[in-house]
Amino acid sequence: MDLFFQQVLNGLTLGGVYCLVALGLTLVYGVLHVPNFAHGAFYMAGAFVSFHLMTAWGWPYWLAMLGSAACVALLAVLAERLVFHPLRHASPLHPMIAAIGVLLFLEAAAQAIWGADFQRMQSPYTGIVDLAGVTAPVQRLLIIGAAFALVVIVHLFLTRTVTGSTIVAMAQTREGAALVGINANRVAMLTFALSGVLAAVAATLYAPINLVYPAMGHLVITKAFVIIILGGMGSVPGAIAGGLIIGLAESFGAFYVSDHYKDIIAFTLLVVILSLRPQGLFPNAAR
Amino acid sequence: MRLNSTIKTVFALLLPLLGVQAAYAQDVVKIGYSGPLSGGAAQYGKNVLAGMEMAASEINAAGFEVGGKKYKLVIVPLDDKYNPSETAINAQRLVQEHKTPAILVPHSGGSFALQTNNEAQKYLLLSYTSVPQVTARGNKLTLRIPPEFTTYIDHFIKHAMGKYGKSLAIANADHDYAKTWTAAFKPAWEAAGGKVVAENPMSYNRATDFYSGVSRALAGKPDVMFIGGASEPTGLVIKQARELGFKGGFVIIDQAKMDEISKVTGGYAMLEGSIGVLPLVENNGPHVKNFVERYRKIAAGRDPSTEVSLNYTAVHATAIAMKLAKTVSDATAIRAQLDKAMKALPPANNPNDLDGVAENGGSSANIQVGVVEGGKVRPVNLRAAAGK
Repeated sequence: MDLFFQQVLNGLTLGGVYCLVALGLTLVYGVLHVPNFAHGAFYMAGAFVSFHLMTAWGWPYWLAMLGSAACVALLAVLAERLVFHPLRHASPLHPMIAAIGVLLFLEAAAQAIWGADFQRMQSPYTGIVDLAGVTAPVQRLLIIGAAFALVVIVHLFLTRTVTGSTIVAMAQTREGAALVGINANRVAMLTFALSGVLAAVAATLYAPINLVYPAMGHLVITKAFVIIILGGMGSVPGAIAGGLIIGLAESFGAFYVSDHYKDIIAFTLLVVILSLRPQGLFPNAAR
Repeated sequence: MRLNSTIKTVFALLLPLLGVQAAYAQDVVKIGYSGPLSGGAAQYGKNVLAGMEMAASEINAAGFEVGGKKYKLVIVPLDDKYNPSETAINAQRLVQEHKTPAILVPHSGGSFALQTNNEAQKYLLLSYTSVPQVTARGNKLTLRIPPEFTTYIDHFIKHAMGKYGKSLAIANADHDYAKTWTAAFKPAWEAAGGKVVAENPMSYNRATDFYSGVSRALAGKPDVMFIGGASEPTGLVIKQARELGFKGGFVIIDQAKMDEISKVTGGYAMLEGSIGVLPLVENNGPHVKNFVERYRKIAAGRDPSTEVSLNYTAVHATAIAMKLAKTVSDATAIRAQLDKAMKALPPANNPNDLDGVAENGGSSANIQVGVVEGGKVRPVNLRAAAGK
């Protein structure tokens, strides 16, 4: 039974990180209809900026996370202004290709600045808690707590504030939003900034139990795409539910079946859910 | 007409440069490299390349003369992202564009790909992989740079089983190279009277997390864990196992280097009782220490790994073989001199103590492995240990 709860704990850890990454991705898709392949690179950039602030400048962990969130938000806004905004009237293919370009650019830039080494980010929380037989490293508990707190904050922001509502309005209908006087440019930038913040926080939370290196974004971005397709493209509750489903499926799959097959399990789940519900789990939640 | 005159000016400026290039081109010997320089394995590929370039610059500084003619040795690197099909394309480019008499490939997949045509295209394959199959296929133009990994197995088993017990959990990586290791190690462990209680290889390069995989391996209550892939993820696996309460020993495959692992685990404490290849920086031989110092000087303080040193030695040995064969282009003649060349290597150029090349192209060496005891790495000489 302990082993079972250990897998639950692990599934929640992974699920929390996946939720944050998928949430940013799905918001951008909902508002701009851009499948932002560069989102994984934002995640990677978030980890590197935090790493740099902590090792080179000696910032404490939480402050580094804030700094990194600000930097990546700025980076995401710049990407929107310089790359995606000029392409808003082009065919849907153009922003996709541009997104891949941004991804390659950021990865090459990270390798040029920080090198191709695997780096290790130290977290101040190295303790291990024993919860009735379940081994729980503090950093993992922290990931779960922080990730879900942030999900709740984002949810409140989107539903309870005027600024947040403009994002939802844009996602529901562009013309309608424009008619009631919502500034589309402002919302686009805001959405990209928010996605950058989420990516940076997810990366900084997760990096201490993993490694920091230029290709680290690939691992999460493929999962994040599966999650938002699973949950319904552009759907906020879909991203949260999808993140948890994939996180738990991987964790249980790796333990009870085989580590070999854990990706297959996640993708089989995608096929099964899509054949039963081709529109995803929560298709109309945001629009 | 302005454009026209600009073009003329550019040509006028370029022409002498082109002439100089052409004059140099005759006296240059190029050795090709095709390995990962971007993507997840980029650092590995860069280490290999750094070793090759260090050797080339030493050879050029000392003056490289073959058959009474002076040459400049140049390394031509191409990125294959660890992908064998790209290795094959790179090799075509290297042979056709750069006329390389030898190409170094630091992975087994790419080596196998090149073995399909290196004899026909007449270039020497310098293969940096310890998989025995590379030399078992009868390819006549292959040098396997490191000794076969099977030479480690007996001593690894004797150490781990003697110290910790007979139950083994297999939790190494699941790429081809690691699978070859498992295929050789598992029967040997069982033949020595051991038992495999869990078998759960993991994708070291693609996994986002090792928590589930390691807890599955530990559910079999093993005394010893058989692990290893790239060094850094191996460090994460060790950390995870210790956090989950594993007290036994680790047998680490030669791909992972203990000094690189220790950077992830924060020192050697978590590796207590492990056995693996001896990190170069823990080797006390005077020539090794000297090599480490020289490398640190040119590499901004970085420690060299065996990837650096073995490929460094391979380039030196190839250069000596060229001198002995009195040719810089005839791959067959160069290959024929490799054994002599390896034996003629000055110790300063041979930190890993390679001492010969067999008929099949495989190298042999006086190998040292490393055992972690009391938070320190203790070198163990395999030949001395077998002699006891």
